[in-house]
Amino acid sequence: MLLKQALLIENLKKSFGNNEALKGISLSVEPNEIFALIGPNGAGKTTALRIVAALLTPSGGRVEVFGNNVRERPDRVREIISYLPEEAGAYKNLTGNGYLRFMGELFATQRRELDDFLQRARDICGLGDRLNDKIGTYSKGMVRKLLLARALMTRPRLAILDEPTSGLDVINALEVRNLIKGFAREGMSVFLSSHNMLEIEYLSDRVGIIHQGIIYDMGTPEELKGKYGSSNLEEVFAEVAR
Amino acid sequence: MRKFIVLVKKEIKELLTLQVIVPMLIAVLAFILIGNIIGSEARRAMEAQDIAVLDQDNSPVSQQAIDFLRINQFQVQELAGPTVQGVIEEVKERELGGLIVIPEGFSSGLAAHEPQEIQTYTVLRSFAMTGSAGVEAISGAVGLINEFVSTQLITREIPGVSIGLLKNPIHPRDIVIIGDNQAQVHPSMVMGFITSQTIFIPIILFFVIIFAAQMIVASVATEKENKTLETLLTTPVSRSSLVSSKMVAAGIIALLVSLVYMVGFSYYMGGIMEGVGGQITAGMGEAMVELGLVLHLSSYVFLGLSVFFAILCALAIALILGSFAQDLKSAQGLIAPMTFLIMIPYILALFLDMTTLTPVIRYLIYAIPFAHPFMAVPNLFLQNYNFVLAGIIYQGVVFVIFVLIAARIYSSDRVLTMKLKLRKS
Repeated sequence: MLLKQALLIENLKKSFGNNEALKGISLSVEPNEIFALIGPNGAGKTTALRIVAALLTPSGGRVEVFGNNVRERPDRVREIISYLPEEAGAYKNLTGNGYLRFMGELFATQRRELDDFLQRARDICGLGDRLNDKIGTYSKGMVRKLLLARALMTRPRLAILDEPTSGLDVINALEVRNLIKGFAREGMSVFLSSHNMLEIEYLSDRVGIIHQGIIYDMGTPEELKGKYGSSNLEEVFAEVAR
Repeated sequence: MRKFIVLVKKEIKELLTLQVIVPMLIAVLAFILIGNIIGSEARRAMEAQDIAVLDQDNSPVSQQAIDFLRINQFQVQELAGPTVQGVIEEVKERELGGLIVIPEGFSSGLAAHEPQEIQTYTVLRSFAMTGSAGVEAISGAVGLINEFVSTQLITREIPGVSIGLLKNPIHPRDIVIIGDNQAQVHPSMVMGFITSQTIFIPIILFFVIIFAAQMIVASVATEKENKTLETLLTTPVSRSSLVSSKMVAAGIIALLVSLVYMVGFSYYMGGIMEGVGGQITAGMGEAMVELGLVLHLSSYVFLGLSVFFAILCALAIALILGSFAQDLKSAQGLIAPMTFLIMIPYILALFLDMTTLTPVIRYLIYAIPFAHPFMAVPNLFLQNYNFVLAGIIYQGVVFVIFVLIAARIYSSDRVLTMKLKLRKS
């Protein structure tokens, strides 16, 4: 029996007024796969991620998460995904623990499940006793780690991560990349976007290069580098964008 | 339901911050403090009927007039001096409210049937409301002297006649009619009683509705500003739960905050109106029952429903306005037009009878869903239940329409993409 694709996007279009942000992109993400969209600002990466997260409604085309159409069954999609926006914030008046508990309660169906979520989140973020402090007192990096822990604690089947290491220092960013890889090995599929080509090269199984709402090329980092005779993805991107 | 409660708890935690609680407590303390200061000053002004009298006539009639003042609660300081100016200086020094000069020849002039002139000097030390007590004291004292002298003259000139009959030959028997009910009571007493009993209702309503609207707009705007809304919208929670949890939490806090404010405000008003309210309400109960001006349990149910739907309408409209807000600053601007819509019926209800307005203006006011609870109170006193019921039904329809619009906005991506363009880009 064929396993359902984690994500299937076919001819996806999205317009905001006269501005056509996505001009018919198609891609798929397999179970356990980490797929990255790379492209400059305004290329359509975040729009694509937001549509998959059932936040924006597509103007045309089809998007399915594990066989669930985001337009027809958004509630089911929200149960199996987790979305980490690029500039996400957290409730400043809540403590770290309070925030994780609040978000966990929205996903958990049983007390034991909630306890599992919270334990996993504490392990992921590594904030220790600072979780008892109000989020308003956290640094940008601490908030990002808290949010990432929130996104991964529920063990989503598909994690949608917009610039997951944004705002983190080198050491923390490395930890987060290893974490994402570890979760993928344990069965999670990942659809992410990033400006950081080195990060993408290290993290992703496959890459889609998006520019002005169009996916120009797709493949493993090795395939793309070979195809364009480049030594890294930055050069591949520059070649494609030209 | 469990997730709904989780959301409501989170909303309350987010909304009920120190930034909300501290200014609220300060305002309440200020209310209590100002009320007490004004109250004690007003009482002092009412009690202090200190006046000075310069009796240049020094006759039995003038002395009897002064005694008559004392019998009628005046603290009369009899001063003497060679010149009026010198006595005025003494009045100023002793901080008395005013001076009455009974001129020489006062009693002999009266005996000769010549009208007499009494000079009064009022020392105005402030233009505040409580400062007017001194003015009232002087005119009250002159009125009493007139009363005394006139009685003396009548007794002397027409012996054996009833003075009461001569002075007040007509005794009005005031009967107030409301609907089919009648009662023997002065109309101004009825008006005063109703005002004293209902003055708080529009004020409470105004607070509750404004607070509820501000809370919910602030809640949505803060979620947008802090970039938490996006995450929340991707959780497995129905959009209707998200929308209704914000409405419920804002409603609860608005009621709570308004209650606290009203406690402070009632102290404030209590301080000012102490003594005055007692005079109006004393012995009015029976007449009010005869007139049917009593709120029954059903009246309170109607009033409660009208208030409840007004708050719901405010919450639904504010929720839509909140979706336009980009941050807290822009949220304040968005709520301003709604505040005006609430203020118009509030002010009109305090000062005007809505039924006397021209039809166009009247129906425009009726169209404001927040206007109905303001109008409900007088109509319930008049047992005009149909009017109040029609208002509640109208509010219900408005609420459903706005909730549907809000649910549509929050179920689509408009909640993230919509913003009000106030200037040309």
